[in-house]
Amino acid sequence: MKRLPLLFYFIVSALNTTAQDGKIKFGNISENDFAPKVYSLDSNAAAVVIADIGSSRIEGNNKGAFSLIYKHYRRVHILNKNGFDLTNISIFLHYDGDAEESLDRVRAVTYNLENGKVVSSKLDEKNGVFKDKISKSLLRKKFTLPNVKEGSIIEFEYTIISDFLQYLRPWEFQGSYPRLTSQYEVSIPEFLGYITLGQGYRTYDVNEVKDRRESFSLSLARTAGPTERAQFSSNVADRRYVINNVPALKEEKFTSTLDNHIQKIEFQLSEIRPPLEYRRVMENWEKVAENLMKAPYFGESVTRDNGWLTDLIAPLKVSSSNKTGLVQKIYAWVRDNFTCTNHNRVTTDQTLKNLVKTHSGSVSEINLLLTAMLFHENIDASPVILSTRSNGFTYSIYPLLSQYNYVICRAIVDGKTFYLDASEPHLGFNRIPLACYNGHARVINSNAEAIEFVADSLMESKFSSVFIVNDEKGNLVGSMVQTPGYYESYEMRERAKEKGKNQMQADIQKDFGSEVIISNFGLDSLDKYDELLSLHYDFDLKGEKEDIIYLNPMFGEGYKENPFKSAERFYPVEMPYAFDETYNLQMEVPQGYVVDELPKSILVKLNEESEGIFEYRITQSGDNISFRSRLRINRAYFAPDEYEMLREFFNLIVKKQAEQIVFKKKK
Amino acid sequence: MMCKNGFLAGLYLFFSLCSRAGDGDYAVSKIPAALLKNAHAVKRMERIVFDVTNTGEAILKRIYAITILDENGDRFGGFGEYYDKLHEIRNIEGTLYNAEGKEIKRLKNKQIIDMTGSDDNNLVDDNRRKYHHFFHKVYPYTVQYEVEIRYNGTLFFPIWLPREGENLSVEQSHFTITAPEGYGVRYKSFNYTGEPVLTPGDKKRGSVSWEVKGLPAVEDEYGSPDWYDINTVVLTGPTEFELERYTGNMSSWEGFGKFVYALKQGRDQLPVAVQKTVHQLTDNITDPIEKISLLYDFLQKNTRYVSIQLGIGGWQPFDASYVASKAYGDCKALTNYMYSLLKEAGIYSCYTLVRAGRGAHQIIADFPSQQFNHVILCVPLQKDTVWLECTNQTIPAGYLGSFTADRYALMITENGGKLVRTPKYGLNENVELRHIKSTLNEEGTLITNAVTDYSGLQQDAYHALINNLSKDKVKEVLHEELDFGTYEVLSFDYQERKGKLPVIREKLDITVSNYATITGKRLFIVPNVMTRTKRKLSAVEERKYDLVLGLEFKDVDTVEISLPSGYAAEYIPQDVSLVSKFGKYVCSVRLNGEKIIYYRSFEHYSGRFPAADYTDLLNFYNTIYKADRNRVVLVKNQ
Repeated sequence: MKRLPLLFYFIVSALNTTAQDGKIKFGNISENDFAPKVYSLDSNAAAVVIADIGSSRIEGNNKGAFSLIYKHYRRVHILNKNGFDLTNISIFLHYDGDAEESLDRVRAVTYNLENGKVVSSKLDEKNGVFKDKISKSLLRKKFTLPNVKEGSIIEFEYTIISDFLQYLRPWEFQGSYPRLTSQYEVSIPEFLGYITLGQGYRTYDVNEVKDRRESFSLSLARTAGPTERAQFSSNVADRRYVINNVPALKEEKFTSTLDNHIQKIEFQLSEIRPPLEYRRVMENWEKVAENLMKAPYFGESVTRDNGWLTDLIAPLKVSSSNKTGLVQKIYAWVRDNFTCTNHNRVTTDQTLKNLVKTHSGSVSEINLLLTAMLFHENIDASPVILSTRSNGFTYSIYPLLSQYNYVICRAIVDGKTFYLDASEPHLGFNRIPLACYNGHARVINSNAEAIEFVADSLMESKFSSVFIVNDEKGNLVGSMVQTPGYYESYEMRERAKEKGKNQMQADIQKDFGSEVIISNFGLDSLDKYDELLSLHYDFDLKGEKEDIIYLNPMFGEGYKENPFKSAERFYPVEMPYAFDETYNLQMEVPQGYVVDELPKSILVKLNEESEGIFEYRITQSGDNISFRSRLRINRAYFAPDEYEMLREFFNLIVKKQAEQIVFKKKK
Repeated sequence: MMCKNGFLAGLYLFFSLCSRAGDGDYAVSKIPAALLKNAHAVKRMERIVFDVTNTGEAILKRIYAITILDENGDRFGGFGEYYDKLHEIRNIEGTLYNAEGKEIKRLKNKQIIDMTGSDDNNLVDDNRRKYHHFFHKVYPYTVQYEVEIRYNGTLFFPIWLPREGENLSVEQSHFTITAPEGYGVRYKSFNYTGEPVLTPGDKKRGSVSWEVKGLPAVEDEYGSPDWYDINTVVLTGPTEFELERYTGNMSSWEGFGKFVYALKQGRDQLPVAVQKTVHQLTDNITDPIEKISLLYDFLQKNTRYVSIQLGIGGWQPFDASYVASKAYGDCKALTNYMYSLLKEAGIYSCYTLVRAGRGAHQIIADFPSQQFNHVILCVPLQKDTVWLECTNQTIPAGYLGSFTADRYALMITENGGKLVRTPKYGLNENVELRHIKSTLNEEGTLITNAVTDYSGLQQDAYHALINNLSKDKVKEVLHEELDFGTYEVLSFDYQERKGKLPVIREKLDITVSNYATITGKRLFIVPNVMTRTKRKLSAVEERKYDLVLGLEFKDVDTVEISLPSGYAAEYIPQDVSLVSKFGKYVCSVRLNGEKIIYYRSFEHYSGRFPAADYTDLLNFYNTIYKADRNRVVLVKNQ
């Protein structure tokens, strides 16, 4: 944050973080605290967080501004060695030029019960706190507690003094270990406005506000002249949030990110108020978009007069017949010439000119270059910011830029809208990665439109067809053609690029084993990133001519395992897309055999609304068998209470797709 | 882990006097066709000079050029080098050339990324890394890099490995070591034809050099031998060397051992309280093995693994009193602590260096050099030797596991180092013995009870499962990992019998939905319920390298499945019996009234086999794969 126009100094520290809950006080450990060997909250936890208590407050500093003072206190009972990881503490600190977060007053003590007495071992703060410089703006400090054994209680406490008023630390009430109490107290003076955002499934045990007066002072030493000082008093709201008995966070498959489910509270600076000079910090989306478009670290590079782009674009224009063609050319050029080294960035760290020199940059830089090139050609192009699935959901109503981690480009040509991402080398035109389908996204232009990318809207359609006939010698031979959906095509393309076509053929051959020999293997449209891939091969069935032949008509396709293995489910199921998979088989009855038994045809619906359908249809007509298996699931998102239904549905599919056709030798 | 950048990562290489390539020198058209086969990149030239100034310092200069042929070759196109207090990167230069060999761009210093090189397993270390990539995407292109590194101390000498990976061919690479006259540079080469060139130089310095030309690109194969067996490699090593204020002589294992001994000497002083504990625990015990077990248990209960690697601390253990006061340490510190505890109890033991890791067997026994990354403790007794892994709080005393078993290790004694072998766990130790009793109902659901004893290396994974995870987590793992379509684990139990050869007994009650497939009147069931091998090989046109099979094990399964009544056999798979140099496999199915009785036994041997045996191995594995999935077909009586 930059200098505020008033200068003050802080006088009274009104809060004592660790003493909020009478019982919990640093160092106040008795023999009785060691008594529990098991906690009812979680009978097989390796460690239990007895108390996790944090606070944030504002004070004036001697840089003529305000600091955020964050304190964190934690007490943990280590029950067995698998809880030792809680005794290694990492603290991440940001810095940016003069502004920084600094670690202060670290205290950490381990308590052991020895011969009925509490024995404490202290961390050596001078030599025992290590630092590791992660990047130009991030530092990690680490320490570990001494003398930790099974049964130890550990306590630690530290303070972070931060110049970044816009980063009031969030609080997570939940983690990988259960917590008996988790408390956060945030003291916000009237002259700063923060909005509060909470998420999670639990209710607060305490959620209260108390108002009081506090005096603030700041100072600023001048190189010439006396130190400037200022002082004033303000109302301060002490907000306290408490949740007791929080169970450990659970991991599950088909979850975009646990961050969407964790119980937490976040804050965003929205305005600065009198007696400071009034300033709106959090604007509405229109204003935020306008500012972003002007910002040198974002849109300014797009809208300025980028005369230097003319030469770059000239060769692309030559071969483009129309506007859409030009957009396609520019898109492919950016995609094919730049390497994305950071897929997790909204702002830029280098100029677009520099990007063109280094050929590598972040997703924001690459897609802003794409946007700038289109803009330069008078095409309606805007950056779009979003949060990828692993980064968690965004709030569409609040423009909280820290929630966003990805930039793509929207282009509108002749009334048609295209979404483009040039940061993935094998992605096609008007396709964005699956990770982007995470709900709300925002177009950064004067209208600042909200758009939605939802996984439910993606339908992956896959078609496979197999033909099997008797050849002149009476052996079964066949062919397979498969066209997967776009995103599966994308994955196969990546695999083919990495392993080579031959290896892919070898893998398929390996899956079949020695009884099926495949030949004429082909992958079409491998380099046509806009199109669906097509895979095809011929095969000979070399099986012995036994009296009875058992043949699964799925021919290696289909589901052999239930993707929803776990019997329980806490969170919603978030699949990457909805899908529709059709498998067709046409086959001749093997020469010299008759059909003894065919599986039964069935048609099953997932629910009454037919949001999923499984069709298994098999018919015989003379010497020909026609078979079709189709599975369609219309949604990607299922609520936890729909899980059992989904699991049962797939159980049935696995069962049905394992069934066999039985042929018997003619007598 | 004791170590910083270990053996392979010690590839700090260099050169300087070479100027930039002239226009066109790196033209892709000049690459011989043979070097393009299977290649994603071609090393065009490389000159490495390792210049030993004296025992306290050496300078490595390396210049090399690599042509990147396609996208998959990009991994060879970047420059990356670790550094720390003992290795200082002095200069990096880089140039980019297009396909015609024309210079396009030069590296600017500010484009070099300086990042942490810390290992997440360490609480703290001083490793950092410099990195650069031109990210040119117009293929083919060529990069040339030049780097100079100062070695502070001479414990580490470089390894010359011109072909650094798969799909890289080498047009030319040249390696030289220079040293003061009379300084005995030691080296050992693998797959190098010809003799190195020895040059008695001027200014009282001599040199020795190697050169290769035209190494084609290779692709990795299943079960291929150790890297030095199939590549041109030269290992080099010091005679007299220095590390900070310590000196040593690497000419023999004995000499290297003396150096390590000096690093740890005098670090075995225990605080009085701990001394007392040692005596309380062991004074009334006569059996040394029991004493060892008691003290090892004390170690496991009172310490944990925390790794701090700074400067010489990467090589020298923290002393015993430090571990006693903090209750933590890395492998060096904890091993030295255990050594001190045993010493206090009057038991002699040896701090022992080892190269840890599954399958890391590549200690080159006849070339003394720093090839280790871990420390364990060896306790030689009159009749027996007890091995102790001191960084693990749950492993049984005397058992090593796949991390350090069956390999060379360097025992450090007061008389220097001695190369010994750690215990091997073989066919009769690595056993899985399973009994299954199941009932199949009319719907095809299998209600099954499985009791399995895992021993030796076969129990390692289960040891980790039950010791590192809570019961809830074990349940989650079981619910995800078993090889069934849809199932529920009704109950599970693990009993661990600790000992020199640990055994874990697993009891599972599982219900598997639709285990049998029912189609009309027929019922299909795989009698091998839980031990279906996943090993399966792909046919290859031409096998190049010998085959190395590492793990020896034995699985024996008996299965009894009670069937719903009213079914008769239509198809019972034939018995399978395979005997080969890779192992033995037998399986059989019988229908006994309304019960299926299945028996399976699989012995897997280790060994090194000629490349031509690959097809036999493929047939062996793939036949087993298929036999493990054979089905019994039953028909309902009409």
